[in-house]
Amino acid sequence: MRANGARLSTPPLSEPRPVSGSETPAITCQNVWQVFGNDADSALKEVLANHPSPDDAAGELRSKGLIPAVQNASFQVQEGELFVIMGLSGSGKSTLIRCISHLLHATGGEIRIDGENIVEASAKRLIELRRKKLGMVFQHFGLFPHMTVAENVAYPLRVQGVKKKQRQAKAEEVINLVGLRGRENHYPRELSGGQRQRVGIARSLVADCSVWFLDEPFSALDPLIRRQLQDEFLEIQAKLKTTIVFITHDINEALKLADRIAIMRDGRIVQIGTPADIVLRPVDDYVREFSKDVAKGRHARVASVMETGAGLAYGADDPGLRQDMTLDAALARCMELYEPVPVRSPEGNVVGVVNPADLAAALQVEQG
Amino acid sequence: MAFLTKGSVAALIAAAAGALCLLLESSLPWLVKFPAAWVLPATDWAGAAMEWLLALIKPTARGFSALMFYPMEAANYVLSNTPWPLVICATAALAWILGGVRMALMALVGLGFVLASGYWPESMNTLALVAVSVPLALIIGGGIGILANEYPRVRKPVQALLDIMQTVPTFAYLTPLLVLFGFGPVVGLIASAIYAAPPMARNVLLGLERVEPEIKEAAIMAGGTRLQQLFQCEIPSAGQQIMVGVNQCLMAALSMVIIAAVIGGFDDIGWEVLLTMRKAQFGQSLLAGLVIVIFAILIDRMSGTLTQDRREKHDPRIAWGILAVGAAASAVFWGHIQQPGAYALFNPVADSVDRGLSAFTTANADVLTAFKNNVLFYVLLPLRIGLDQAVLPFTWGFSWTPMMSLGLFATGAAAGAVFALRGQLALGVMLLIAAGMLETGISQLPWPFVLIGAGALAWVAGGRGLAIMTVALLATILVSGLWERALLSLYLSGAAVFACTVMGGAIGLVSAVSPAVWRVVHPICDMLQTIPLFVFLIPVLMVFQIGEFSAFLAIIAYAIVPMIRYTRHGLVSTPEEMIEAATASGATKWQMLKDIRAPYAAPSILLGLNQTILYAFAMLVIAALIGTTGLGQSIYLALGQADVGLGISAGAAMAILALIADRMVQGFAEERRKALGL
Repeated sequence: MRANGARLSTPPLSEPRPVSGSETPAITCQNVWQVFGNDADSALKEVLANHPSPDDAAGELRSKGLIPAVQNASFQVQEGELFVIMGLSGSGKSTLIRCISHLLHATGGEIRIDGENIVEASAKRLIELRRKKLGMVFQHFGLFPHMTVAENVAYPLRVQGVKKKQRQAKAEEVINLVGLRGRENHYPRELSGGQRQRVGIARSLVADCSVWFLDEPFSALDPLIRRQLQDEFLEIQAKLKTTIVFITHDINEALKLADRIAIMRDGRIVQIGTPADIVLRPVDDYVREFSKDVAKGRHARVASVMETGAGLAYGADDPGLRQDMTLDAALARCMELYEPVPVRSPEGNVVGVVNPADLAAALQVEQG
Repeated sequence: MAFLTKGSVAALIAAAAGALCLLLESSLPWLVKFPAAWVLPATDWAGAAMEWLLALIKPTARGFSALMFYPMEAANYVLSNTPWPLVICATAALAWILGGVRMALMALVGLGFVLASGYWPESMNTLALVAVSVPLALIIGGGIGILANEYPRVRKPVQALLDIMQTVPTFAYLTPLLVLFGFGPVVGLIASAIYAAPPMARNVLLGLERVEPEIKEAAIMAGGTRLQQLFQCEIPSAGQQIMVGVNQCLMAALSMVIIAAVIGGFDDIGWEVLLTMRKAQFGQSLLAGLVIVIFAILIDRMSGTLTQDRREKHDPRIAWGILAVGAAASAVFWGHIQQPGAYALFNPVADSVDRGLSAFTTANADVLTAFKNNVLFYVLLPLRIGLDQAVLPFTWGFSWTPMMSLGLFATGAAAGAVFALRGQLALGVMLLIAAGMLETGISQLPWPFVLIGAGALAWVAGGRGLAIMTVALLATILVSGLWERALLSLYLSGAAVFACTVMGGAIGLVSAVSPAVWRVVHPICDMLQTIPLFVFLIPVLMVFQIGEFSAFLAIIAYAIVPMIRYTRHGLVSTPEEMIEAATASGATKWQMLKDIRAPYAAPSILLGLNQTILYAFAMLVIAALIGTTGLGQSIYLALGQADVGLGISAGAAMAILALIADRMVQGFAEERRKALGL
């Protein structure tokens, strides 16, 4: 968790969500390993006993022909926090979320949800947890092709034995929440990709989960629909305030949604931090490469580039900067100090004037 | 050796083995004919072991048989005592629900024909057997499929078992069943359930395996128990594939019920075909065969609608209406309804077919006999016993001399050398081997050559494991004393497969090039694949009488379909980008076919060949009814004599041949697919 050590003194991009007073984090992962291959359990135990360093242990496992898909992952997610795990395909992010939701049995380590170690939970307890506490959204939606929208959404209630009328009422409620009113009796094949994922979201919400897993929920959608759904997702989250683990391979999506981001590479978590941390203080070239294409002006705040200390000199102009302004906004303010400047043709004749403040404003991306 | 390809090495080894056998033939006669003294009484052992085993489970079996008697009687009673208007209308109502007006009309016309043919009671008896055996097969097959899905560890053994169950010829397990259950319809019932369960099991397993992982995960995350996940999410999601299984299960059951008629004891439609065939009443037999075909088509098309992705909804009120009409008609005309068996409207037609047929055969006797004899004397016989024995003054007009043998080998060697010099050594050597085989005849090939040659071929197709398996399995046939019969089977099915490959390939090619041709060929293929095996025998028998030639034709008629289908499919399914790239490069239509489509289609065509081989083996056994030699005949004889040992070993030998051919062709197909990166 070296990233946390280097945590900036600046506030995160979004307002910190109200975190309830309880002491136990919603999710705790402690030294989680997921190893694929024959006899992975005993192999991992043996390797860990001989190699204290996780990297050495992973190397040893690989040399034995096993695949350490997740290596020694440790982090905590607070209640109500939106925690994004980001990485390229094959980095182990989907495996990790499947460990936490116990679709895969973690080979090693401890995963606690509200303090309860689910790695050791019984099959019966797991079913109970999934019915009451956990919800999941899948990349390719995972809708049941033989059920209508309403039946799909109500399915988690059906397995619990909730009466038909009751579950229909509840399903209708979440269907309205995701904006699918009127499509209750359609089959998944009759819906567009965006609508299908709305069904997936509604289904994961119907049982009032408190921990919500989203595995690349918007990756299969085209960019316009993706942005629309991201915004609606944030609205839903603002209403429900559930704890969220969100997987994505898209750095912009991660930065837009996350309270904190964990970046994974080759099965390891290489950095955990707020969006600003990731953009401005990448721990290595790998993370830097990610944030290269990101418009830093939108994610970084003035505080992250300002110098502090006593006796710092400054000029007479004061454009009115505040430390929590984005760089884009601060730049625009500074530019307002300039007079309009000339613009010339190739021959050197003045063809017009431009106001520097307009230049800065033109660079800014409208925030949805 | 480093510059030789695997294929060339194998071909050279086989050629060397063959040459050695030919050279030593005179001094070491045991090389050609496997000495009887070396034969183990495996047939007797198998018989003894089976009889012991059968005796052990006989009481259970007889108990089961007694138990099955009740549902069978019940189904029989219901079907034969329900007034025919009601049965026809109920079927039409069901057809309406499944497929709308067209399907309902098909049911009406089809069953109307059955009624008019006078074979109604027999048909209902057959249907009663199917009605009991299919649920049995669905439950067994579905259960096996689900269990194999739940316990991955048993998946491999189950799949191997299913492979065997489907390669063992149908007649072969009738014999032990006969001993177990005694004469009677229950044997047909059990046999058809056994025969029909594997396709169901296969499709259930396939469907469950193919359910999207995220659907399975969604069911888990919804908090379902394993049973809830399975029955509420996975099985319904796999519904279409499972329905394919149901469709195949129905067709297999019908086919087997009809085949099981050979053991007799039940007055069903298959028996009727057999009886009329034996009496040489071909018009009647054709009529009964048509009734079977109608049932096959109705069952296939009706259950086929269940496998469709998006089915139209058809108003159930109309179905109720049709049913009501049937009930009303039955009630109103209760006293006037004839016994359904009394309608024999087509008998005059059948009789005139008979007369026309005999007139036709007498009128064209010369042409037909000439055709038959030409194929027999100039193609089949040389293949079977070799040119050196088949060429006689009586048929060919001259006798075969050693000089001619020498000439044949020289021609083979010269042609081979041309290919070898062009860099295709394997092909060249294979030409030489072919010359040798033509000289000797397939049924008289020296056994060491067959073992080594097959082993070498298997090595090329699937590596060392397959080679060892091939040699070991062939050796068991050798020592069990079924070798000669196995070679006879190999010869006939080989000849038929070769004919199918050439003709089917050509038809497939033309169908791929011309959509107009495919529009004609397609329904014929559909038809041929729907017809139960048995029915193929009728027309060939009508024209060419009993004998090897008729069997040959029946096998071709049945086994040619996959070759046509897969060849065409492979040729037309070339990806669009490849076609566009070739067009952009300026390829003509034929260049495109030769350089782009054909190589891409190779794996698909090989799979077609594989199916054709399996079909040919399946038909070979049925064709034993109209006169073939070899293993098929042994199996059929064993059935007649209730000789379990012979039935089992001959069936096993047949299955071994089919299995080896299957694995080899699959190996080649796999190799092609890998080479193409598919």
